[in-house]
Amino acid sequence: MNIFTRGILLILCLVSGLSYAQQTPNRISGFYPGVPFERFMEKIEEETTYRFFFKESDIKDLTVNLQANNDKLEDVLSQIFLPTDLKFSISKTGEVFISKGQKLTVDFPDSFFAQNEENQSEGMTSAQDEFVRNRRYVIGVPSGEGTTAKIRGQVLSLENSKPIQGAIVYDKITQAQTITNPEGRYELTVPKGNQTILIQNIGGYTEQRLVTIQGDGELNMSIGEGVFSLSEVVVRSGALTNISRPEMGVQSLSVQQMRKLPSVMGEVDILKGILTMPGVNTAGEASVGFNVRGGAADQNLILYDQNTLFNPSHLFGFFSSVNSDMVQGVELYKAGIPANLGGRLSSVLQVTPKLGRTDKIGGSGGIGPLTSRLSVEGPIGSKTTFIVGARMTYSDWLLDYLEDKADIGASRAFFADFNGTIQHQLNEKNILRFTGYYSEDEFQFDPDTVYSYSNQNFALSWTHYFNDQVEATFSAGQDGYDFQVQGEDNPLNSYRYNFDIRQRFVKAQFRQEKGDRHIFSYGIHSIWYDLNPGEIAPFGAESIVIPDDVAAEKALETSLFFGDEFEINEKLTVTGGLRYNLYGYFGPQTLPEYAPGQPNLPENIIGEKNYASGELAKSYHGPEFRFSGRYALTNWSSIKGGVNTMRQNIHLMSNSSVMTPTDTWKLSDPFIKPQRGIQYGLGYFHNLKNNSVEFSAEVYYRTMENLLDYRSGAKIVLNDRIEQDVLVTKGKAYGLELFLRKSTGKLNGSVAYTYSRSLMQTDPSEQKEQINRSEWYPSNFDQPHNANLVLNYELSRRINTTLAAKYSTGRPVTLPVAKFEYGGSERVYFGDRNSVRIPDYFRLDFSVNLEGNHKVKKTAHGSWSFGVYNVLGRDNPYSVYYIPEEGTLQGYKLSIFAEPIPFVTYNFRF
Amino acid sequence: MDFKLLTGPMKKSVAVFCFLVLAFACREPFDPEVPEGSSSILVVEGYLDTEGLESEIRLSRTVLINADTTLAPESGARVTLFSEDGAAYPLTEVEPGLYGFSQNVPEDKEYRMEIELSNGELFESLPIIPILTPPIIDAGFLRDEEGVEVYITTQGNENADDFLWTYEETWIYRPRIRVPYIYDSKIKDVRDRTEAENISLCFKSEVSSDILLETSSRFQEQVVFRQTITEIPQGDERIQERYSILVYQKAIDSDAVKFWETLKRNTEDIGSIFSPLPSMISGNLKAVGNPQTPVVGQVSMGVVQQLRIYINLEDVTPWGYLDPEFNDCIVEQDSVLARFYDPTFVSGAVLPARPYIPPGGTVILGYFPTSRRCGDCTLYASPITPDFWEDD
Repeated sequence: MNIFTRGILLILCLVSGLSYAQQTPNRISGFYPGVPFERFMEKIEEETTYRFFFKESDIKDLTVNLQANNDKLEDVLSQIFLPTDLKFSISKTGEVFISKGQKLTVDFPDSFFAQNEENQSEGMTSAQDEFVRNRRYVIGVPSGEGTTAKIRGQVLSLENSKPIQGAIVYDKITQAQTITNPEGRYELTVPKGNQTILIQNIGGYTEQRLVTIQGDGELNMSIGEGVFSLSEVVVRSGALTNISRPEMGVQSLSVQQMRKLPSVMGEVDILKGILTMPGVNTAGEASVGFNVRGGAADQNLILYDQNTLFNPSHLFGFFSSVNSDMVQGVELYKAGIPANLGGRLSSVLQVTPKLGRTDKIGGSGGIGPLTSRLSVEGPIGSKTTFIVGARMTYSDWLLDYLEDKADIGASRAFFADFNGTIQHQLNEKNILRFTGYYSEDEFQFDPDTVYSYSNQNFALSWTHYFNDQVEATFSAGQDGYDFQVQGEDNPLNSYRYNFDIRQRFVKAQFRQEKGDRHIFSYGIHSIWYDLNPGEIAPFGAESIVIPDDVAAEKALETSLFFGDEFEINEKLTVTGGLRYNLYGYFGPQTLPEYAPGQPNLPENIIGEKNYASGELAKSYHGPEFRFSGRYALTNWSSIKGGVNTMRQNIHLMSNSSVMTPTDTWKLSDPFIKPQRGIQYGLGYFHNLKNNSVEFSAEVYYRTMENLLDYRSGAKIVLNDRIEQDVLVTKGKAYGLELFLRKSTGKLNGSVAYTYSRSLMQTDPSEQKEQINRSEWYPSNFDQPHNANLVLNYELSRRINTTLAAKYSTGRPVTLPVAKFEYGGSERVYFGDRNSVRIPDYFRLDFSVNLEGNHKVKKTAHGSWSFGVYNVLGRDNPYSVYYIPEEGTLQGYKLSIFAEPIPFVTYNFRF
Repeated sequence: MDFKLLTGPMKKSVAVFCFLVLAFACREPFDPEVPEGSSSILVVEGYLDTEGLESEIRLSRTVLINADTTLAPESGARVTLFSEDGAAYPLTEVEPGLYGFSQNVPEDKEYRMEIELSNGELFESLPIIPILTPPIIDAGFLRDEEGVEVYITTQGNENADDFLWTYEETWIYRPRIRVPYIYDSKIKDVRDRTEAENISLCFKSEVSSDILLETSSRFQEQVVFRQTITEIPQGDERIQERYSILVYQKAIDSDAVKFWETLKRNTEDIGSIFSPLPSMISGNLKAVGNPQTPVVGQVSMGVVQQLRIYINLEDVTPWGYLDPEFNDCIVEQDSVLARFYDPTFVSGAVLPARPYIPPGGTVILGYFPTSRRCGDCTLYASPITPDFWEDD
């Protein structure tokens, strides 16, 4: 530890300011075509807080010939000094010392690690007061050394306590200035003594604070955001980061972007937003899941903070189960999945929940024809914030109203979700957070059968900052999912069928900056699975249904991971990671033994083996490699490449084309092996027009093993021995993704085009059945061409219109090719699996968002959102099928949204 | 069958989706272009009774999906049942494509069926073990506000666990207006109809196309209690006077269950959002010499149990059958007088329905007529009383 600390100190001494340089905008941008070094320094001093110290003779003939784009000063200087023997050192306070031959050692500031800094924070209530402006704050403790001191702190909005980014903080006399970073943090070096600190927020008033500087210290400020409400702050996936971050295949979406998208019934939907991204597709409009790069819907890990959501949808996919008011943003990893995440084959969708505001109690909500939502957030005391939200349907009135118009019988549908987050700052170094999520769905198509399902998640996490370089998050929690069908058709046959999953997890995750060029992340993640794959029980006293169940399954999965983001040089950055996955399938369990070399069929059972509770029945383990690298071609473009492998131990058993609530989950066992996959990717990223236009092109190729497909007539529900119906299946997928996004301007939006194939093959060694004679066949979600357009036009600050279009090749289906008489009726003979496609899909949506007036002083801020889903009224077939009708076969296509569907929603926040 | 319990009601999901989109149309006829090929596959159907009850094997071929007919019987084949001890029982073609079997064979043997087509292709079944189907314990019906539900009760045993039920329905069909008279052109007069000329009492018959499966071991003591065979909705035509249903019960093995489930799923269950993927269907027959040649069919053997029940209109009253198609049917107010009988009734399109006897008179002066479609049930059904039919 000592060596460790010393190492950090050493690094700090040599290139101090590093950790701040990463947070503050002390970055260098600009074009310097052969300018004298002196001019260059002046420019830097103007734009940043750096101050240069040098011998004039040393730099006399030096010219600067480069284009910088938000680069670190160190990098820029290294580049400039490369042909010379000049050396430089940067002190923690931003003094740059230039010397010839030998590097100057910059003394470590005494008080840097001292904990005696005084923390000057403004009370919320007094913030507005004139008192705040005229009060004199005393910063730091008197210390004899030096004539300057460093103050740092956070600038927050007076209105909502959110950090203000880009506010200029400067000293009135020396004009030393800095700009707040995205967290609102700043750091400024000012002369000791009485000073006036000015804060200029763009579009707002200039605020002042009178200070007496005695030494280094902290000054937090709350300032008015100004008279004009700015147009929304769009959190971009990082115009710059898309070319500079080493991972590829990562898509981000902010809630603001999602809000602009037209939606069904006016409900802002994170999953629908994700579907506008390249490489993301869905098998049908009302399907629960989504498919990423040719992977199945269960191969996506959907994380709500730390929790896994097993069913991300309400009402079979009409609405996503996450209340958009409770979400900060979502990030989808299609490739380049960091080593700390894993467990699914295709992708990780990280949903980041919102944290409560710190200034006052506020909230937001929306009222629509089918659903309403409300969330409340605010502080509890000065250290704790909370946010809670609820959403509910009240669709039954509509059902009643429609009862006469349509033959909907006694259909009923209800759903609700509740979630909340409480965060408590124990002290500067420790943050505790509790997140909870609960959702419930209940629907029935006739009075006798009720389907219901529920997600239950909670997690507690503790983030500890060891020092500026090392932070750790420890979390523990449980993810639950319940599904139930209750049939009361006949008292004697009344039954209740249900299955559920409980997974308990603990995770320790460290993030460590090592020097200038390494960011390590490492830790351990353990999941204890407790799965009840299905049971049926009599319901009611008269029922004679025999209880039946599939034996509960238990397994422990532990992953150790280590990842490093290593900046080799300015041009080349790589991230590498290794995740080692250990999986054990535990008793109590009774498993059959099949004759070796024989297919897993009932006739080949030669024995049975019992495993006691806690006894290991089968283990699997293996490494997962994650590697990606970025090579910057220019400041505006880069190429990236990557390869990653994934493993998945929990499988969704589904025999239908889409993810449905009746699908059950299954753990890897001695017969069902973990799914494994490897993906190779290559991408080109280019930004245009000052980063306002991003372009990317990515290609990928992936192979998958141990996928699940089923023999004909397989029964999924209550199947004790599913391995007798599973066919050993391989998969491969490849594609090209093109993406163009313009994120600023009155007219903005994105265009995405994806060419992708997703194919499967029954292993030729499979003896039970070979689908399509063991030739490659398209998977259920193989849709080669896919294009998405989102066009947003801001007519004014208050009126915003969006047009969204989606095109994709029709998904493959298996259609009957012949017919015959059997069992008294006409029957159909199906052709090869997935050999026919349904017609192509095309849809155009339109929405208008109307903001209320932007007066600051009003109790609630309202906005209307209305629009039309499927403007063209195209009857996009979801599925085609044949049914015998009065003895003859009639083909039908089923369209779910065959007409333009208008919607209107009122949203508000207070 | 629990799968049915879970997915059956899902069919109505389509309706729920309709509701959600404000009852817009969701389903439209669709005729996709499907690649040709895979047609003309041999199809084999049959359950051979081992106790000599007349049973049959039906051979046919598949036709293209958009063909007008599905009738493609396979004639001229040699169908033979072989017992494990070498005994051969040839089947004889009784109708094109229909091969009859009525022999009492031992149930404790294993059998194999061989089919040699007229073109020389040879097919063979996997070994078939006859299953002694236990009898139907009880059959009856339940009346509720939705209509009538016909059920049976049976009990499985260790050999007969899975059951397949089929049924034939027959019911009396009456015309809206009963016409007991006929115009006889020979005597140029109207007279009473003879029994053979009856057009007021007909019978309609229908063979079930449902595939009803149940596993008895799901229930306590393997009692399948009141298994629904069919549901007759309130006011349905079938119970306008007397209705009969003959239920066949066949015990089948688990492979046959899979075959029938696949068949069922491939057709009946495909209409819903949650429908499973269609499955390839094959059965227990294989082409000899070329295993890649597809063949569809599941041949089973055993004892067929059957039970017939009747339901009378009085048992379910009030029923309320009224076919709106005939709501315009009336007996005309103006009578046809005797001298107009010939031109009016000779074509048969107009029937003499009720006699016209003037008030106070005793002689029939003419007949009030009605149109044939209102009075002649033979237009819609058979006037012949089935052999099995029993009146109360």
